[in-house]
Amino acid sequence: MRHTIAECERAGHEHGLSVGLAMALAGAETAQAPGRVAAWPTSGIPSGATVVREERGVSFVRTEAGPADPEIAARLAAVRLGLTRRLAERVVEHLSARKVGGEPTIGKQLVQGALADAHVATEAARRTLTVAGDCPEAVADVHHCLTTVDWELAKLLGASGFVSVDSSGTGAMFEVHLSRLTAHCWIGAA
Amino acid sequence: MNTVDELQGLSAELATSLRPHALAVDAGEVPEIPALDIIRDIATPPDFRTSDLPKCAQLYTETCLARTAANIELSRGDAGVLNICRAPSLAGLAVDALGSAEQQEAFYRVLADERPWTFFGMTEPSVGSDATAMQTRLDKDFRLHGGKRYVANAERGGIGVVFARTGPTPLSIRAVIVRNPSPGYSGRALTMFGLRGAALGEMTFDGIEIPRTCLLGAHLPASRRGLWGAARTFNIMRLQIGAQALGVALAIADYVHQLRPQWKPLMATRLEAARELLLDCAHDVDNNPDDRRAPSIGKLHATHLAVETARWAEAALTPGGLLEHPLLEKWCRDVHAFEFMDGTSNIQRLTIGTGHDDN
Repeated sequence: MRHTIAECERAGHEHGLSVGLAMALAGAETAQAPGRVAAWPTSGIPSGATVVREERGVSFVRTEAGPADPEIAARLAAVRLGLTRRLAERVVEHLSARKVGGEPTIGKQLVQGALADAHVATEAARRTLTVAGDCPEAVADVHHCLTTVDWELAKLLGASGFVSVDSSGTGAMFEVHLSRLTAHCWIGAA
Repeated sequence: MNTVDELQGLSAELATSLRPHALAVDAGEVPEIPALDIIRDIATPPDFRTSDLPKCAQLYTETCLARTAANIELSRGDAGVLNICRAPSLAGLAVDALGSAEQQEAFYRVLADERPWTFFGMTEPSVGSDATAMQTRLDKDFRLHGGKRYVANAERGGIGVVFARTGPTPLSIRAVIVRNPSPGYSGRALTMFGLRGAALGEMTFDGIEIPRTCLLGAHLPASRRGLWGAARTFNIMRLQIGAQALGVALAIADYVHQLRPQWKPLMATRLEAARELLLDCAHDVDNNPDDRRAPSIGKLHATHLAVETARWAEAALTPGGLLEHPLLEKWCRDVHAFEFMDGTSNIQRLTIGTGHDDN
């Protein structure tokens, strides 16, 4: 499982949600989703599936609710971990190019504190996934943690993270929200 | 019942007319909604209103308390729809603070005659919250050069206020009234993640000729003609943004409690406590318009709690349930918008933290 988790994180980090989701769901069926909607890679939607919504290579399809599968949820959490790391890198790049009051924004204490908190949270999340085993609550907790970290990082992008200026400048919140919606489909009910 | 309570009740009644259009506005439509005309009139100073309104409506432009109370309830209907209202908004507050009587008359005459959307151009793409570093400039020949980004109604707005530099110091940052269309003005809408009714966009100024009568603040002392003169405007607007965040959070909580009446009722109490906090902060601003801490405290808490409420709602649903409740999903996007309006959380923290030195 440790190797799979690492592979899923790498897929999310290097290739994004859609590719990572495909890896996390390898061998799975939509009916394994714990609710009535499954998040699925658009490139591999089962024939005849009813698509509720499609966004950036991820489709949300109707299905019958099944029992929650903690292994799928854990693999998906690893994918999201890779996405969170990618977002952190984007934030650092963005803030390194900006100044406030003549000083680099990246050097501001509030910014450094937020980046440090995000780094610690992702390191802890990775370890949690390697030991979570049969504890679905721990996996769900990692997902909630990543949702929180993503938002704290996205805030550092300011309004630029909230809008898409053109096709090359998609606001980070679009991806952050899609990651959250996807996770919501694969985590068991509270 | 006092007049603020009456205005709150009137706002709640108007809000019911906004809700049915929430998803359409999120999809990019701009429906004509009669309630928005009433809201627009409520948000216009009494001397420039075009219809008779209940006496309680008078308070909206007179006190921050009334404005805050009303915005909570209006946004509880739907903040996205509220933001397509052709109200004076921040531009109106700036004209109220910096404009002469003649300039106010001219500005509100345009609003009455043409019903345009208004814009407020402050933020620039490369300097964000650091307004003193803005690069947009007003030349000696009164031509405006530069650009702004993340401005509501940048594309569709017909009139607004734009801040620009006339020299190197912060005191040389001045405000002008700009009309759209004007030769040299171009506006472009940006694709928003949420709160799409606000229609954020970017505007560029390629040597727009500004009539000298449109330079605001000439009748004021040098220290209050520009940025500092508008500071009180930001205090009021910060609480209005906080009020809208809380309104969306209340809408989310209402929705969830209809689905799951027993779901963690603590949140309802926290939201009502946040209302108390916002109203107290607004009261503080009415008593001391230069108090920068109170609005920052109110906005910081309300925006944070609104995001937390969205997560609380998500946990109440069955897996994937957000996809089955589009309105709830929309509000869970909308709540994030308030973070970026009138100062991010870090800006509010710095204001609050620095203020400790004053005590």
